[in-house]
Amino acid sequence: MIRMPANGIQYKPIKASVEKVIDESPLIKSFVLIPEQDFSFKTGEFIELTINGTGEAPFTPSSSPLEKKKIEVTVMKAGYVTEKIHALKKGDVVGIRGPFGRGYPVEKFYGKQVVILGGGCGFAPIRSLLYNLIAEKEKFEKVILCYGSKTPEDCIYKPFIDELRQIEKFEVYRSVDKADESWKERQGVVTVLLDDIDVTINKSVAIVCGPPIMMKYGTLKLLEMGYPETDIYLSMEKNMSCGLGKCGHCMMGKFYVCKDGPVFTYDEIKELPDIWL
Amino acid sequence: MKNTFQISILDWHTFLLGLSKNNSVYVPVKTYDTIDYKLFTEDGLNIIYNVAKPVTPLKAFFLPPKENVVIEKKAYNKNIIIGIPACDLKALEILDEIYLDETWLDLRYKENRERAVLIGTDCFETAENCHCTSYGIEPYPVNHADASSNLHFAEEKRKQVKKELVEKNRLLPDYAKTGSLIKNSGEDLWEKHSRTCVSCGACAVACPTCTCFLLIERPDFEKIRQVDACQYPGFERIAAGEDPLRRKYIRFRNRYLCKYVWKPEDFKSVACTGCGRCIDSCIGKISKNEIFIEMAESS
Repeated sequence: MIRMPANGIQYKPIKASVEKVIDESPLIKSFVLIPEQDFSFKTGEFIELTINGTGEAPFTPSSSPLEKKKIEVTVMKAGYVTEKIHALKKGDVVGIRGPFGRGYPVEKFYGKQVVILGGGCGFAPIRSLLYNLIAEKEKFEKVILCYGSKTPEDCIYKPFIDELRQIEKFEVYRSVDKADESWKERQGVVTVLLDDIDVTINKSVAIVCGPPIMMKYGTLKLLEMGYPETDIYLSMEKNMSCGLGKCGHCMMGKFYVCKDGPVFTYDEIKELPDIWL
Repeated sequence: MKNTFQISILDWHTFLLGLSKNNSVYVPVKTYDTIDYKLFTEDGLNIIYNVAKPVTPLKAFFLPPKENVVIEKKAYNKNIIIGIPACDLKALEILDEIYLDETWLDLRYKENRERAVLIGTDCFETAENCHCTSYGIEPYPVNHADASSNLHFAEEKRKQVKKELVEKNRLLPDYAKTGSLIKNSGEDLWEKHSRTCVSCGACAVACPTCTCFLLIERPDFEKIRQVDACQYPGFERIAAGEDPLRRKYIRFRNRYLCKYVWKPEDFKSVACTGCGRCIDSCIGKISKNEIFIEMAESS
């Protein structure tokens, strides 16, 4: 079977209009998009978001994979294309290519305690995963979210966090590097949250998504806790461009992150050079 | 046995002229000291046969330097390419493996590939940096070509050229073992040999098996695919600024790791056919063969 983007044309995106722009933090915005045709993806797979005539950038949708009519992406302003994305307004038209890659193998998490470690804008793929886990919550023993950000102001998805805390089997722990008087949760780097959780390692899987430095120390901490390398799932951030394993910009050793990833177990990539850069 | 027949050079040119009425016929032409493919025209060209290799690798017919990959192509005629050396034909194996992969098929490449008629040729002489035999390749077409054309058939010539190539490259390590030499060589070696590299990417552009590209956006959601190279700074840079290939020697090493370590792990062969174009084209006078010999000697 040929892996083909939704409209059957590999490099031409389908159009989508911006329905809503949500300010998540000073640097992060979410965009609710309505594609011109139904668009489905598995959680953890990514799309290329095209700004007409300007450029494309890869994002893992932050919305529920069960939703076909709408798709939401959460974007941190970090470069040329993301700056243009941040300037989008309701009614603007963008392009979407995909979905691409290998997402989270949710069925492998059945019957387990799922520990999710997220940092900053790395919450985006995780929220999509959480929507998926919520929809099948009877299949998991429990789900523990540990989320870290720089300051309370940088915490994203505040309404979603409030909802998540009300759901049976879901536990939420948050930390910030720099707290203020309003902050009632943990202070410190996100890995400190792993000291607080009650988890049975041999009945658990861990998922990590965030900036490279956090991915590195998060993984090291999980290994120290006794997680097997095959049970640590990492969502790798690379310069995915074509989405078809051809252009080479996302190569990580023999892997093309766009088709072999972006989700890898630590075991699969541990031998490769410079994975945390 | 393959069908072989002889034709006089005059009749051959008349035949090419006939073909060129409804097709694009590309022939190797010598201009000063450069041999390259040119479109065959009626006024005649200085066509040259049985030479080592045109400067443009065969891949350029399937992955042109720049191509719009979104707009549909108009009906087109065939590209008949004459005088393809064995090294470039061999390179098709890895190109096809990457671009005609059943799951991740690239439709534009497939279209360009199906458009081409490939006429190979024996190399009756070798160029300075030719070393195909070191990669298990014969200096004459064995497969992948639709036909071959030679000035004359000479079994003796084939043996002689092969002998020459083997002799002049005798110090090169076994290509199947080059990957582990590369993997195990220290950073000092890469730093030393990349000193004169100016990150121009000529090695990758001239290489018959380097296929990385850049997608450039155009209005109306169109896209241009343009040849790219991992030697260019920023090739793997991501939005927040992290760049695994930030340092020059790491980029330099990356190309060899890709060709000799990672490609053979994922595909059938190393991604080098010993054409020597990367050495010919390097303005920093870097020879991968010298690097490999040094590695082999110090291992």
